[in-house]
Amino acid sequence: MVVIVLALLAGAALTAGPLLWSARRAAHTARAAEQRAADAEQRCAAAERRAADADNRARTATARADDAEDRAHGADTEARAAEAHRTVADARYAAAVRELGHLAHERIPAAATALNHPRTPVPGPLDTTGGTDELHHALDTALTAAVRAVLAERERTDAAARAALRGAASKIQALLIQVRSLLEEIQLSVDDPRLLALDFRNELTLRRVQSLAVLSGAWPGMTREDSPLAELCVGAQSRVAGYARIEITNHLREPRLAVAARAAEPVAIALAEILGNATAYSHPETRVVVSIEQGSAGALVVVDDMGVGMEPDQLERAGDLLDGQAEVLLTELGDPPQAGFAVVGLLCRQFGFGCRVEPSPYGGVRAILRLPADLLTLTDPAAPLSALAPRPITQTTPVFDAGDALPTRKRRSPRVPQQDAPSPLPSPAGSTPDRARSAWSALQSGTLAGRSAAHTSPGPEGPAAPEGVETP
Amino acid sequence: MTTPSGPRRRLVPAYLATQGRELAPGRQTLDRLSILHAAADLPAGLGGEHRQLWELVRPGALTVAEAAAHLRLPVSATIFIAADLAERGALQVRAPIPSAQPVNRDLAERLLSGLRALK
Repeated sequence: MVVIVLALLAGAALTAGPLLWSARRAAHTARAAEQRAADAEQRCAAAERRAADADNRARTATARADDAEDRAHGADTEARAAEAHRTVADARYAAAVRELGHLAHERIPAAATALNHPRTPVPGPLDTTGGTDELHHALDTALTAAVRAVLAERERTDAAARAALRGAASKIQALLIQVRSLLEEIQLSVDDPRLLALDFRNELTLRRVQSLAVLSGAWPGMTREDSPLAELCVGAQSRVAGYARIEITNHLREPRLAVAARAAEPVAIALAEILGNATAYSHPETRVVVSIEQGSAGALVVVDDMGVGMEPDQLERAGDLLDGQAEVLLTELGDPPQAGFAVVGLLCRQFGFGCRVEPSPYGGVRAILRLPADLLTLTDPAAPLSALAPRPITQTTPVFDAGDALPTRKRRSPRVPQQDAPSPLPSPAGSTPDRARSAWSALQSGTLAGRSAAHTSPGPEGPAAPEGVETP
Repeated sequence: MTTPSGPRRRLVPAYLATQGRELAPGRQTLDRLSILHAAADLPAGLGGEHRQLWELVRPGALTVAEAAAHLRLPVSATIFIAADLAERGALQVRAPIPSAQPVNRDLAERLLSGLRALK
């Protein structure tokens, strides 16, 4: 039994040995496996961590990518916007360049021309619709500055021209007035009618020079005494080329109505210019009708021509010149210079009378010269009126023998009976004593009548004496 | 400078009487000593200076020079006015009265010697 037990034990031992080994080995393996498992577990955890980490990083990367994409999109939009802006800016730049070119080549020259010719249209900016207010403002400022510079330069040039003209005109005027005095003297001793023609030419020249002198700011060139208005009108008439066409009618109630000394020559100059316009702008075979009127607050000289008349804008310009409101520049008078209304306007402003023009009922232009009462006076009744001055139409008796001392004035029949009047073709050689007697008696009575008129009229001593020497 | 009572500066020139003509109308030539008579009424349509000359002459007769003096115009201008009137028949113009013929010298010498003989 023991053996069996031993054998069993041995067998058991024999059996148990490998079992034990194997158990050990299994344990070892188990441990190793455990080790590896732990190891694997660790690695797994590490991998998991890495995976999580990678995941995080991936998410971050995705987010950044998204972000980048967004930014790229934004940048793209911005770039497109910038492109659009640039296009607009380019367009505006091009427009501004065009406007500048337009300003330089069209608007400034037109504005400069418009200073001389008010009817010249001045073009506006090319593009008025765009919202380029700043540009337009700047362009307008440039235009205004250019116009102002042109005006200043023109004023300076004109002042220099006026000064030069003033000197020349005064000198010529003085000489012409001396010529006039000489001619007047010679006319008393020489009967050649060409002297009268020469006198007339001299007077025409003098008028031209006088109007230039007035325009250039000089003194009207002559002092006068109080001068009868009728004589002033005839004097003005005599300074005009077509004076024979001018018909003056005197409607004054008071024939001695005169213009005060200070305004006498200016009124004559102004009226001569008005009459010059009237004759120059009407047909040479039409009349120019002048009427001298005496109103309650002054006197009027109304000049009507039957010419072509004036357009409304010409009338307006003339009105401005006559009011003395418009600035008068030599350079504005045109070529040939049309100085008439400018001269009248200057004189009106300086001496206090007035003038205006309007369409005439005769078809042409009517000019009305108004002389206020403070420029009017009465002349000395002793001073005789010129024989060539028109008498008031209500007054039929001639002024030269207006004294009561003239007995012949009331005489209605000739002193010499009509039958004793000489025949139309008397021949002195074959005259009978009767005829000779009647002729001589007629001559004597005429001489006596004339002399009594000369003695009783308190005029100048010698009726044909020269009327003073005029000095400038 | 003139004084108010002195002669005035000319305002109305004499050439206005010519009415722009170079020569006086009419065939008759007038000179200083031509004698003017009023012949008929003043025709209508003539201006103030014509009327004045006509009225001046109407009482009798005047030479052109005298008429010119009364009108205070130069003779040359007065001739135009007178010629206008003569052309319309309102004035008659006579040639100047000729100066006397030269005296008979013989007669004058005899008269002189006779006068001396009276002493």
